Amino acid sequence: MFISDLLCISHQKTYDLDLFNNGPIYNEGIKYFALEPDYTSLIPASTLRRMGKFMRMGVGTGLPMLQKHIGVEGIILATANGGVDDSMKFLNQIEKYQEGTLTPTNFVQSTPNSLAGTLSMMCNNKGYNNTHVHEGLAFENALLDAQMFLESNKTKVLLGAAEEISDWNFNINLLKGRFKKENCNPESLLESGTIGTVCGEGAFMFVIEATQRNVLAQIKDVGQITTENPAEIFELLRNFLKKNNMKPSDVDAIMLGYNGDARTDSLYNDFYNSMFKGKAAFCFKNLCGEFPTASAFALWLATYIINTYPIPDKVIKVKPQKEINNILIYNHYNGLQHGMILLNKAN
Amino acid sequence: MINVFVTGMGLVSALGSNVNENLKGLRSGQTGIKKSRFFASKYAETHFFGEVNKSTETLIESIKLTSKLGLTRTDILAMIAFNEAIHDAGLAPEEISSFDTAFISASTVGGMCAHDELFADAQLPEKPSVYLFSYPFAAHALKIIEEFKIRGISNTINTACSSSANAITMGTKLIQSGRVKRAIVGGADSLSKYTANGFNALRILSDDPCRPFDTNRKGLSLGEGAAYLVLEAEEQTFVKKKYARISGFSNTSDAFHLSSLSEEAEGVKMAIEKALTSAGLKPGMIDYINTHGTGTENNDKVELLGLSKVFGLIPPYNATKSYTGHSLGAAGSMEAIIALLSLNYKELYPSLYCENPIDEQTPPLKKYQNNVDIKHVLSNSFGFGSNCTSLIFSKI
Repeated sequence: MFISDLLCISHQKTYDLDLFNNGPIYNEGIKYFALEPDYTSLIPASTLRRMGKFMRMGVGTGLPMLQKHIGVEGIILATANGGVDDSMKFLNQIEKYQEGTLTPTNFVQSTPNSLAGTLSMMCNNKGYNNTHVHEGLAFENALLDAQMFLESNKTKVLLGAAEEISDWNFNINLLKGRFKKENCNPESLLESGTIGTVCGEGAFMFVIEATQRNVLAQIKDVGQITTENPAEIFELLRNFLKKNNMKPSDVDAIMLGYNGDARTDSLYNDFYNSMFKGKAAFCFKNLCGEFPTASAFALWLATYIINTYPIPDKVIKVKPQKEINNILIYNHYNGLQHGMILLNKAN
Repeated sequence: MINVFVTGMGLVSALGSNVNENLKGLRSGQTGIKKSRFFASKYAETHFFGEVNKSTETLIESIKLTSKLGLTRTDILAMIAFNEAIHDAGLAPEEISSFDTAFISASTVGGMCAHDELFADAQLPEKPSVYLFSYPFAAHALKIIEEFKIRGISNTINTACSSSANAITMGTKLIQSGRVKRAIVGGADSLSKYTANGFNALRILSDDPCRPFDTNRKGLSLGEGAAYLVLEAEEQTFVKKKYARISGFSNTSDAFHLSSLSEEAEGVKMAIEKALTSAGLKPGMIDYINTHGTGTENNDKVELLGLSKVFGLIPPYNATKSYTGHSLGAAGSMEAIIALLSLNYKELYPSLYCENPIDEQTPPLKKYQNNVDIKHVLSNSFGFGSNCTSLIFSKI
């Protein structure tokens, strides 16, 4: 399947692609909040006011894609947490009013499929509609779903992911020990050598088509495994490459989900050193932060890299020595859920 | 395309803790919707719920697990139904761990059933609760993956009340396309303050046991439970018992409203028609319909309209939520199993509490019937966010 268009809201200036002209921007702290665009030309003010950030960012990226591309036959999204802030607001209502008379808006918006539903309503899209919430593999599952959807004689689908930082998921993950205790310098996040990472958010939308016409890249395949045993990750990798008739030497570049957590970043080192040593290598979470659907940002970035946009210095781990015709993205979530996406240059 | 068969079932609901107890409950014609014994909510006093009739502690004690730390009610319900399904299908541990096996689950509330602990943990207490790792929608699935050592494709879907119907669909497609040989599919949800208050705020939580398709219905009764099916590719099933073949499915968006169906029943009609098309069946070939039938004003009226638009003369139908309550993310797979019980035992169960049918001419099933020749059954699931899904199962 092929990517014909894409749009991204993240911690970087990605909505207008300024990232590629003026490089990354860095703010101190461990919350990598998204830089949101001005939505007013896109969403009526009264509607916008009621939307939580998850919904706003998702509509802000998904709606332009649906407006621009006719014939989109389905909407397939991924989010681990959906509108968490709305969930928290509704929980607050339950506590505050002791299960009294509550207003339902937060409740309705808090269901993770409310974004795919809202997009379908805004564009009167009555096609396939699905929402995947499988934590660190939610986006890989959305890709798999899109792959199977297009195999059923379909031509075009909107695929995406969205995630918001709210006090709720931030605090819970902080208690789990997921984030850095110290105030981390973003420029050296990936070399920090300490435990924990930083928290990110954003929305990422792709128009995916079955045929190769005016496209930007090909998503060759997607793979996944859930394990804490590194040997099994390599088993997946070997199977994945074999399935796609590739040898490790056929891979031009690797994009790895380094997040600066000393406990689990070694998996990326091992992955790279096992079969890909010397090849071009990129990272991305020093730009967008960590979140369960971060591989959607990786796919967005990889699509531009493969189309020879200027690569920000900060994402280059090992400099490319030759033209990049394919990129293998490997990302894991907390060392447990591992996903691989193979992206090819469009011919 | 590879044929997909159902070879195992596991079900826990207000009617019982396994498929057999549920079958007995359906045959008895008695609802499982009662006054709650274990649900810590203000509404437990005033409303009726489809509650699994055991405490969380008793449920946890009922099966052997390597780790029982931080299990929520959703987690344990899921594990019980999952465990029954894999044993029913006779899956060996190495089959469950094979890359050829997918696990597709679903939940709408997930670990938010532990709302008090979640609320406290979100305020950064010095000592977090044991449920810290249990809150995500996918938490129950990740615990099952760990406990049963699943390594292949795994997923959790949340399309509100159609979630586990979509899990069945995804598992079916994975097998049909040859990606896996088998898939364990379904969903789980438990009673929670979150959903009870949410539906109450929307004024669709009934204080009486729900009355699907009755003129005087007052809304849904919240239920809970879990249901998993084992689906296998035909080549895996030659010497196995098979409950049905999955012959059709659909997924469409009503594109109308986040919490109600369009008055013209467009999403309902499209979902059923697309499922029929994918099964290569004509409407007249459906012998029984397990409706979404929630008991809300909007759903029942619209669903009935959709049914009459597709079928003209509507085949025998019931709303088994009148037995189990609405178990949200678990409802689709729960009702798929109930439809398969009808198919396999050639019997139809009456829809409860429908005294004054919306449509006098075509009321839901009133009486238990046996020796019914059932070849194809349709199961509907419609969710918040305009998600409409229909499944069709066919006799072997």
